Amino acid sequence: MNLPKLKLSKDQTKKLALSAMGFVVLLYVYFSFFLGPLQKSRSGTLAQIEDRQKKIDNSKAEVNKAAALERQAKESMARFAALKALTPEGAPIAWFPPKMKTFFANQGIDRAVARLESNTNFKQNELAAWTKFNWLIDLPQADFASVGKSIAELENTQPLLSITKLSIHVLPEQPQFQQVAIAATTVIEKR
Amino acid sequence: MALHLNLLHEEILEQRQRQRDPLKIGLLVLSSCGALLFLYYAWNAYETLEIKSKLSSVEAEWKKLEPKVTQAQKRSAELTDVINTTRVLDDYIDNRFFWGPFLEKLSRCVPPNAQITSMEASLGDEDKGGGVTVTLDGVAAAREPRSAAEDLRQMLLEQLGKTYHDVKAEFKTLEDVETVATIGGATVPMSRFMLSVTFNPSAAKPAATPAAGRRKAKTKDE
Repeated sequence: MNLPKLKLSKDQTKKLALSAMGFVVLLYVYFSFFLGPLQKSRSGTLAQIEDRQKKIDNSKAEVNKAAALERQAKESMARFAALKALTPEGAPIAWFPPKMKTFFANQGIDRAVARLESNTNFKQNELAAWTKFNWLIDLPQADFASVGKSIAELENTQPLLSITKLSIHVLPEQPQFQQVAIAATTVIEKR
Repeated sequence: MALHLNLLHEEILEQRQRQRDPLKIGLLVLSSCGALLFLYYAWNAYETLEIKSKLSSVEAEWKKLEPKVTQAQKRSAELTDVINTTRVLDDYIDNRFFWGPFLEKLSRCVPPNAQITSMEASLGDEDKGGGVTVTLDGVAAAREPRSAAEDLRQMLLEQLGKTYHDVKAEFKTLEDVETVATIGGATVPMSRFMLSVTFNPSAAKPAATPAAGRRKAKTKDE
């Protein structure tokens, strides 16, 4: 096959060279200023979509988890409410001593004096909203049987109270009676 | 063979040369490439717009979900706190030492010929094992007052050992006193004692599991 010979004039060669350069410039402009930013924006948007989608998926899982936890926590919530209800409103120093006086009076022990010794915070993070109050309850005149029953009743009705020290002494003049000192710790919610 | 006469030879040659003009061909190629590139760009732009609209819908969904998630997270944290606090409080309640049953046991251990005049009891820190230490002061009256006190010690060991672990009962002092007591019309000598009792209310008892039959019998006895 005989290809026709292209005879280019000088002017034509110049024009051709300029056209080739123009083509290269056009390609550069096209890729750098049009297609490049478009692709960049596209990949950025895709990444954003992926990120949001991940967040949405995680969030849906979180919402489901919260709903499951809500069902599981019913028992704990009821228990927690019951424990909170054991603590009356107000400062413990205001209500605990009269409460003890009434309690022991109901048990047949007329004289009962409760004093606040100290209060400390718990080390556990879970009990950061609760405080430990240490009390000293004096029963100057009580008989052993009543004391034993009262202590058992106190331990059964006050789950957040624990006795740490107990001292019982016979009264020298009245050996049928004992002098009792109870060191008790109560766990009370901070208000 | 027919003879063809080309009278427009020069014009036709000129036209052919014009058609083969490289500048013109180049321009045509350039235009085609340009058109292709434009189409490719348009396709990409369309896809990008589509992706952007998808992003908008995802954003809208997220905006709708975000408050719910924040609320759910807050609620989860709240519930977890409540669960953990309740668990720790329950542990605290369950691990308490109950003095009522101990006092009952103590009262059952004291025989009629002995009297406890003073009791000092304390519960140790849970970090140190949570053991209970009891100091009992008392007097015993019998022909052999020391053996009456020893009976009390033995009884305490036996009775407390049924419920608690590592029970120890030791005399700190045991001495005869000059005072005498009258029991059932008879005058008997007395001794004074100081007894130290220690035990652990919560430690696991290292005992072998009893056989099924034996366990059943024991339950019946109880």
